[in-house]
Amino acid sequence: MADATHEQWLVQIDAELDGELSLVERAALAKHLVTCAHCAGARASQLEVRVALARSAGNPHAFVVPRPAIRAGTLALWVAIALGTGLLAGWAAERRWGGPGGGAALEETRGTIVVQ
Amino acid sequence: MALSWFSSVLFTLATLQGPGTRLTYRIRVVEPASVAPRVLASGAVSGPLDSDMRLTLRTDTAEVEALFHVTPVGDTVSLSGEFFTRRRVGRSRRGLPLWEEDTYRRLVRLTWSDTTRVYPFGNAPRAIWVELQLEREFAGGEARAAEAFDLVDSARDFRLEAVVRPRRARVILNLVRGDTVSAPRPIDLIPEQPSRVVQLVLKGRATTLVVSLTRPDPPRSPRDRALALDADIVCLRVSRPDSAEPLGTICGRLNNVARQLPLPTGDTLAATFAWPGPR
Repeated sequence: MADATHEQWLVQIDAELDGELSLVERAALAKHLVTCAHCAGARASQLEVRVALARSAGNPHAFVVPRPAIRAGTLALWVAIALGTGLLAGWAAERRWGGPGGGAALEETRGTIVVQ
Repeated sequence: MALSWFSSVLFTLATLQGPGTRLTYRIRVVEPASVAPRVLASGAVSGPLDSDMRLTLRTDTAEVEALFHVTPVGDTVSLSGEFFTRRRVGRSRRGLPLWEEDTYRRLVRLTWSDTTRVYPFGNAPRAIWVELQLEREFAGGEARAAEAFDLVDSARDFRLEAVVRPRRARVILNLVRGDTVSAPRPIDLIPEQPSRVVQLVLKGRATTLVVSLTRPDPPRSPRDRALALDADIVCLRVSRPDSAEPLGTICGRLNNVARQLPLPTGDTLAATFAWPGPR
């Protein structure tokens, strides 16, 4: 990573905070942070964001950002709501436009006689 | 004052409906275009004052059939149109075309010199229209209906027909037994008038029948009723002189086609309906 670009170091910082870097990669990143004030600042900013996310999730002392868990009951409820909304919208559309032939009002499609 | 007005209407009606008045429907089917409207077809239908005009316009997605009828009232005329419309609205799940049908009536009052525009497919911006002019003239005698139609664009499916309800019909009767036929017995009959007695002689044996002409029952289909498709159909009621019970009824158009009715004597009565000769 000696000639790595600045963008690549930012990716490495993100991976380090997620605990995805090897010891060699962490050592290289630490050496770079000593010499690069910009990347050190970016790392501090990333950490602050994660702290804020952990606080908002109700666990300020978490080691990693807690991911929201979707429970089976909640998922089933939302699926049921989506299906119900779709059915209701279909019924309303059928009532409004009513199958084939909808569109213009009947009187507009009928013939007229106009005296000139 | 009211009596005078009523008398003048009666007088006008009597004058206009005399045998010498001939009515002409003159039409032009026009398609709007960017530069100038294009005439797709033109024609005329004429006949006695009670003649109607049946107009048919078909496109890929719509069919309009209309029966126009005029009623003179004083110096004006009432033009009525019975419309029967079919519109293609899509396809069924099995891929067959779906059509919706509509029947309605339009009525306008105009003077004889007016031109009317009929918008058969509604007032859409690029819909075709039909220009219609009514003319009346005094003819020497009551003549048959006449049609003239010039279809400029042969790809279009337009038709124009005169519709006249016969005031009388010529009926030619024959008695048939095996390969022997009696001499034809032509008679002029007026619908809904009292019966007439006719005698047909076949192989020296005379058969006496009582015949009368009636109108057919009103058609059941709304389309047939609206377009008067049975206008030129008459029915011949045949019975014996000594019995009110009819032997049978023969119905048909005035088109010179013989229609047969088996009689209890073993003979067959053949009746041919035709338009009567000019008077």
